[in-house]
Amino acid sequence: MTIAATECLLRMYDERYGLEDYQGGVPRWCTGCGDNAILAAVQRLCRDENLRPEKMVFVSGIGCSSRFPHYMKSYGFHGIHGRALPIAEGIKMVRPDLHVFVNTGDGDCCSIGAAHWIHAIRYNMNMTVMLHDNQIYGLTKMQASPTSPKGLKSNTTPRGAYLDGLQPLTVTLGVQNVSFVAQAVDWIPELLYDILSAAFHHKGFSFVRILQRCPEWLPNLFDPWMKDPQRLLLLHGEGGLRISPALSKAYQNQQQHDPSDLNRARELASVIDPIPVGILYRNTDVPCYEDLRRTGQPRSHDFIKAGLEAEFDKFTVWPQESGSRTTAA
Amino acid sequence: MEAELQTHIAFHLTGRRRGGQIESLDELRLLPLPFAGYRNLAELRYDFPLVLFADGADEVPVQSLSGLIDSLLQEVAQGPDGQRLRRHGLRLEQEIRAVASGTSGRVTLRTHWDAAASRLAGHGEEPLQDSLRRLRAALKRDGEVVDCDEDMPFRLLRHIWAVLRDRNARKARDTIDELAIKLSDILAAEFVRTDEGLSPEWLKAGMGSSHQNAFDFAVMSRLLSQAAPKTPLPEGRRRRIRWLLSVLTSQRFFPASKGSDAPTAAPYEFVFESCAEAVDAFRARLPEMTELAKALAMAELEVEGRYNEAKHDRLFDDFASNGLSPQELALFPDYLVLARPDEIPAALNAFAVGLPAKVLVQSDDLLQSSALAGDGLALALGTKHLATTAVGLSAVFVLQSSSSGLMRLRDQILRGFAYPGPALFNVFSGASAGAGALPPYLIAAAAAEARVFPTFVYDPSAGPDLASRFQAQMNPQSEADWPLQEFAYEDEQRQRICERLPFTLIDFVACDRRYARHFACVPRTKWNGSMVPVSEFLGPQPAPSEKVPCLLMVDDENVLQKVIVDVKLIREARRCGEMWRGLQELGGIRNSHAMKLLAEERKAWAEQQQPTRSNGGGATMASAAPAATAAASAAVSEAAEAKPASDEPYIETARCSSCDECIQINSRMFAYDKNKQASIVDPDAGTYRQLVEAAENCQVAVIHPGKPRNPNEPGLEELLKRAEPFL
Ligand SMILES: Cc1ncc(C[n+]2csc(CCOP(=O)(O)OP(=O)(O)O)c2C)c(N)n1
Ligand code: SF4
Ligand code: SF4
Ligand SMILES: [Mg+2]
Repeated sequence: MTIAATECLLRMYDERYGLEDYQGGVPRWCTGCGDNAILAAVQRLCRDENLRPEKMVFVSGIGCSSRFPHYMKSYGFHGIHGRALPIAEGIKMVRPDLHVFVNTGDGDCCSIGAAHWIHAIRYNMNMTVMLHDNQIYGLTKMQASPTSPKGLKSNTTPRGAYLDGLQPLTVTLGVQNVSFVAQAVDWIPELLYDILSAAFHHKGFSFVRILQRCPEWLPNLFDPWMKDPQRLLLLHGEGGLRISPALSKAYQNQQQHDPSDLNRARELASVIDPIPVGILYRNTDVPCYEDLRRTGQPRSHDFIKAGLEAEFDKFTVWPQESGSRTTAA
Repeated sequence: MEAELQTHIAFHLTGRRRGGQIESLDELRLLPLPFAGYRNLAELRYDFPLVLFADGADEVPVQSLSGLIDSLLQEVAQGPDGQRLRRHGLRLEQEIRAVASGTSGRVTLRTHWDAAASRLAGHGEEPLQDSLRRLRAALKRDGEVVDCDEDMPFRLLRHIWAVLRDRNARKARDTIDELAIKLSDILAAEFVRTDEGLSPEWLKAGMGSSHQNAFDFAVMSRLLSQAAPKTPLPEGRRRRIRWLLSVLTSQRFFPASKGSDAPTAAPYEFVFESCAEAVDAFRARLPEMTELAKALAMAELEVEGRYNEAKHDRLFDDFASNGLSPQELALFPDYLVLARPDEIPAALNAFAVGLPAKVLVQSDDLLQSSALAGDGLALALGTKHLATTAVGLSAVFVLQSSSSGLMRLRDQILRGFAYPGPALFNVFSGASAGAGALPPYLIAAAAAEARVFPTFVYDPSAGPDLASRFQAQMNPQSEADWPLQEFAYEDEQRQRICERLPFTLIDFVACDRRYARHFACVPRTKWNGSMVPVSEFLGPQPAPSEKVPCLLMVDDENVLQKVIVDVKLIREARRCGEMWRGLQELGGIRNSHAMKLLAEERKAWAEQQQPTRSNGGGATMASAAPAATAAASAAVSEAAEAKPASDEPYIETARCSSCDECIQINSRMFAYDKNKQASIVDPDAGTYRQLVEAAENCQVAVIHPGKPRNPNEPGLEELLKRAEPFL
């Protein structure tokens, strides 16, 4: 219930934010790093949606990509390795009024954090999740990650990775309650923006895998795709992206796709070459865990205190009790 | 023969019986023919009784017994024994209906259900027991059972109103509680930084008793006092928060939430028996409403830390100086007025002064003789009047229905209650004084069928125009003047005769003993060819001469009787028919404007068809097509970026991925725009070498170095070669 008068007043005095209002610390990423493109797209989105900086929180784990919250002038939580999602879930649970964003790397999400990832999909809590997938551990200087392609030479796989890379999209699309899955590439800013915008507007767990360049360790990894526009497959149509005429001219390999079609989404998700870009799946009917668990009970001081006491009591050792027992013995 | 006809015509014209050939209806206990099949309602499957569900947060607040049984069967009767379950379910339903019709007072469905089930089970074999068990297990909700009687409309509408009111109140209450908690939190956060909040005693009280000895609270107090920020809550804000809290916690519009132990004043009553009382209460509470609405708006800003005294103080000083807006009014519960028909003018007045009320007007008797109408019928002239008034008022939701049809209008009733403005429900209960033993349901249904109390809904929220707002098509055979009903009976020769007869006001009046004198029964031996169906007197053509209008009725043994109707009733029926036509027009049924337009269009179309058959159409289509294509390609070329001549250095800014490479090379030559995308702001701020290096380093290859601007720059030859791929 927002009171009509308040709405009016707020609109009257609404601050308009510029990009600089969202710019936190100066990024310490390598020049040329694809994370810069993601940061710019997110800041543009915040500005265009006129989000109040105190109403957003960026949560991350550990990695180059996980430094993201430092560069946003908003609330942020630079968490521990692999644990961005549980932290974000806790925040959403108690502060459903905040816009929650998660930035996680392929190591952070798909390796150490894989269990949390799977369950976060099932919980379908309303947040925007960006998987910065550079297919390598960047921060720790080039170890293979679960998404590294077969044959990739790294410090942990000097003879080349033995296994095929894990495909984050197919994994996500295989979990119950999945509600939004998209794929973007950092080098087409317009599409990256549109996809992040769609993810932001979806109510539920919006998972966006972003193929992100790491020029430091894998300078040529995506060259074949960057040089040949035919090797990107743009998904568009009703309920998905609308592609601008200019972009259409540059990227002519396109396909109509209906994001409500889960089976087709799964097929597309397993395509590695050409890289499908766009919204693979969207289902607005999946309930959000925070809504299911909302009791409506306002949390007064006393209410919280009583709850905490009850929890603590479960673990309390009462000195008197044990003392009396000792004396009796 | 001649004499007989004379007597009949005389009765028809004067309403006086002279001569013995005709009998008074008083002693005969006749029923109009269409009623013959409905003598025992409890044996039929129909909309009643209803169940008013007490629980169910977001589910429908009311369901018919038959609807409920259907949904249970849908759930339970799926397997191979589905047929059997269905049969037993329907038997149970009939039994419940019988049990319910024999009881009065407030009884719940489960009670009736169990009584009915044990009656059935008494002579039931095992499969029946099994069916009853399974159906009972599937029954999840319970509530009062209400039959279609005099009290039903009041109870039904009051119930729906209360359910919706409670839902809204719960939401409002939660909002208020939440705001109050957050406001208190601001004060509490402030308190812990005050001298008292930082005193050793207070700190000690906050620590569990078993560990108190482990701390030196005096030192803790000193340290914390030094560290605490020295910016106290401004006095103005503190006062404002206190005032907000006092308004929020003392309001009486919403009852305290369950489990809350905060003392609250008794909540206001919102149900009234007259509009005047409701208006008085509304007026008296208006200042408090305004204060609460204002406090809610202010508190929302306050808890977000967005209350800005310089901007907001002035606005809130003049809050609602033009009265509360509809959205603000919608925060508060609606008033419910349960009234009698003479309240309609008062209701319209109350709406005019802005009372946010839902008014139920219930009539029990449409045929009550009134002083005004003298000896005549005080018939529902109101109907048409109310319909046109509704359209005229335009912002009032109006629903009219006989009680028999209320269940089928459940969704519309819910819409009426949800409508953010006043609503008027005009209901005929059928519990009429002259109905004798006939059940109210039957009388109510007859009134609807006979167009005496037609159904209509005027819903201002359904759209901007009359066509979307006014509905009357739910009336039986709404296209017709009178609904035609098919009757089968045996004539004197025991021949089965099928006839389709209109059901009119006269059938309706014929059920009412008080109007018996307008009818005269003709003994079978005196029947003759001049006795024609009533309908011949109701059409647009003048009344046939040498004929008398007759109604078919049946006696207790279902033997057919013919009854002459006097001219006064014929006149009333014609008037009723005209009112119905007026209602049809409003509802867009056989609408005269539309029909006239249609006729004109048809004529014009026919004329146009004559000379040139299939010329025009194709030609226009063909010429339109290339124009469209041209426009599309123009749009494409417009959207494509304009490229400067290749001598000039440039960046395809829209494709820049903000990677910092070029900026690192020369931040005076390259700079980001407001979207954090790079462009060349000053090509002379650096060397050609820097341009070429930037182009090479650009991750997405969107930098084009152009031609060197300084022909004397060293190493140009090599640089030009390197620049080639980027030109
Ligand atoms: C529990 C734990 N294990 C291991 C590490 C070491 N570590 C830091 S970052 C990282 C991997 C980062 O890779 P990724 O998530 O892909 O992020 P990127 O740097 O590529 O953006 C690892 C293994 C750690 N910080 N904590
Ligand atoms: S190491 Fe790779 S991922 Fe990390 S900042 Fe540098 S370029 Fe980016
Ligand atoms: S080098 Fe290219 S992508 Fe990077 S900032 Fe400059 S123009 Fe943009
Ligand atoms: Mg990585």
